[in-house]
Amino acid sequence: MTDTPLISLVDATKTYHLESGDFTALNHVSLDIMENDFVAIMGPSGSGKSTMMNQLGILDVPTTGNLYIEGRDVAKMTNLERTHLRRDTIGYIFQKFYLIPLLSAYENVEYPLILKNKTRDTTGRASAMLEAVGIDKEKGEHRPNQLSGGQQQRVAIARALVNDPKILLCDEPTGNLDRKTGYQIMEILCDLQRKGKTVILVTHDPKIAEYAQRIIRLDDGRIVES
Amino acid sequence: MIGDIFFQLSVRSVKVNFTRSLLASIGIVIGVVAISCMGMLGTNMSLQVEDQLSASANTIVITSDAIRMGPPGMGSSSSSSSSGISKTQLNKIKAVVGTNGTVIPLYYTTTQFTSGNTQGRGSIYGMNPSDVNEFLTIGNGTNIAGMNEALIGLTLSDTMGINVGDRIKISSASEGPPTNNTASASRATVTVVGIIDTRGTVSDSVSTDNGIVVSKEWYTAQYGGKDQYTQVNVLANDVGDISDIEDQIDTVVNTDKKKGSLRISDASSQLDTISSTLETLTLFCLAIGGISLIVAAVSIFNVMMMSVNERVQEIGILLSIGTESGEVRRMFLYEAFILGIVGAAIGGVMSIVIGYSVVDAMIGTTEYFFTPTSIIYVPAGMFVGMVVCVLSGLYPAWRASNMDPIDALRSE
Repeated sequence: MTDTPLISLVDATKTYHLESGDFTALNHVSLDIMENDFVAIMGPSGSGKSTMMNQLGILDVPTTGNLYIEGRDVAKMTNLERTHLRRDTIGYIFQKFYLIPLLSAYENVEYPLILKNKTRDTTGRASAMLEAVGIDKEKGEHRPNQLSGGQQQRVAIARALVNDPKILLCDEPTGNLDRKTGYQIMEILCDLQRKGKTVILVTHDPKIAEYAQRIIRLDDGRIVES
Repeated sequence: MIGDIFFQLSVRSVKVNFTRSLLASIGIVIGVVAISCMGMLGTNMSLQVEDQLSASANTIVITSDAIRMGPPGMGSSSSSSSSGISKTQLNKIKAVVGTNGTVIPLYYTTTQFTSGNTQGRGSIYGMNPSDVNEFLTIGNGTNIAGMNEALIGLTLSDTMGINVGDRIKISSASEGPPTNNTASASRATVTVVGIIDTRGTVSDSVSTDNGIVVSKEWYTAQYGGKDQYTQVNVLANDVGDISDIEDQIDTVVNTDKKKGSLRISDASSQLDTISSTLETLTLFCLAIGGISLIVAAVSIFNVMMMSVNERVQEIGILLSIGTESGEVRRMFLYEAFILGIVGAAIGGVMSIVIGYSVVDAMIGTTEYFFTPTSIIYVPAGMFVGMVVCVLSGLYPAWRASNMDPIDALRSE
């Protein structure tokens, strides 16, 4: 572990050019996230949480300012380099799970490994990941629509972890789950953070945010508490 | 490719939308069948004509350019200088050919005839009976021996029900070039002694399938024009000598252009003309078949666009978790390829079945159907069908791979 932030957002602004006029979703935001941090991002609707997640997940780049991941300026990367950085460094966990409907649970977990290694997984890592989140082999053969919400989110976590990323980006990971299942998922995330992952979590739920070591509050595109 | 996760995603997508995909593939099936069948039909026609003309490839045909004004001897207005090939010219031709071939002089015209109560019309050929076996095959019966004996073509025999031993009344009025003896037409009777086998399309203009062959003596007695031959066929012993013989004949017979020259031709020039015509016809038919493939391409494009539009969120997921644009593009091109290969495979099988039936029905023989130049249209049609499919998928695939993952994830 070094003193260099794993993620560094420097005076970042994101402006959308709409027909009704320009809309600034992030307004001169600066933020450092260190390796192994557990950060919760909170804020009302329209405060810029999703925009910030898109920036941190390299799905988008700031209009002005800079984003550094592991010290590399994202704006200076090609699309392909960003894609590879996303694939290898970041694991995504979404509120709506976003599993690939045409693939089985096992194949969904295997998929990022195939992207990285350009070949099917013969190491058993995908199966091991599924087992680690409590999905047995039989359930692994099921398509996402044959699984419960909790099971789908576990599969999504296994998929996010299979390439051993440093960063886990979780966008309302418990939003579509009942409270009990939500807490089980949060326990898994805490455990992952304890094992060295950097967890960034967007949530509306203060009880969920309590799992984080650090809470960042956004309002109107600015950080109001960090 | 089969183990490729993107190929499997494409296969599953096609399976999920099976009916829609099948309907789109049917368009390709129709296109492949249309192109293959049209191509095979044209090629089979060409091959058949080429084969028939090649059978008489060693034949040089010599005809008179001068218009024959009327059968000499049948009226006072005939001009011997303007009709047919003279005895002198024939002798010159014989001298040139020598032992390098056989010279067959013949007369012919078109006339009406009656067998029993059935009337017919067709060509009547007058030739030396000893020449008959040089280029005609008598399938049933014997050659002409007497003055009033005749051979008839197999088609004429079949259509009019004339058999060996039957009698035919032949009009003395020639229907060919204008004559001045129509008013005085009479009928002479001949007995059929043999049936000539089918010749098909031939280059020497002696189409005996629907004609009658009589001795030259009977012919000239009936129509006149003794020693003024309508045509002379030269059967060269060696096909390679044809050009030389033609040149030599031209030198000796076409000395005085003012008196009218003799036209000298062989099968190759006719073959070129017919082949070129059939080639144009085949291309035209292929173009019509191509239109159905364009329609199929629109259908595939539509299905692919629907597939992309229905899977926007899935594309967003793929892109957001690290799938390269090229991999997304490949996935949709695989899908178009699958539609193409299914359509082409079904189309290929159907092309063979339908093509075989069409060729059999329209040409009357499937002898040439499985020759490489004919059957090549099946894989060619399949290949074109697949290429059309993949081309139709290019834009939808490009569109999918260039989506913004954030917008794509937001879509419902």
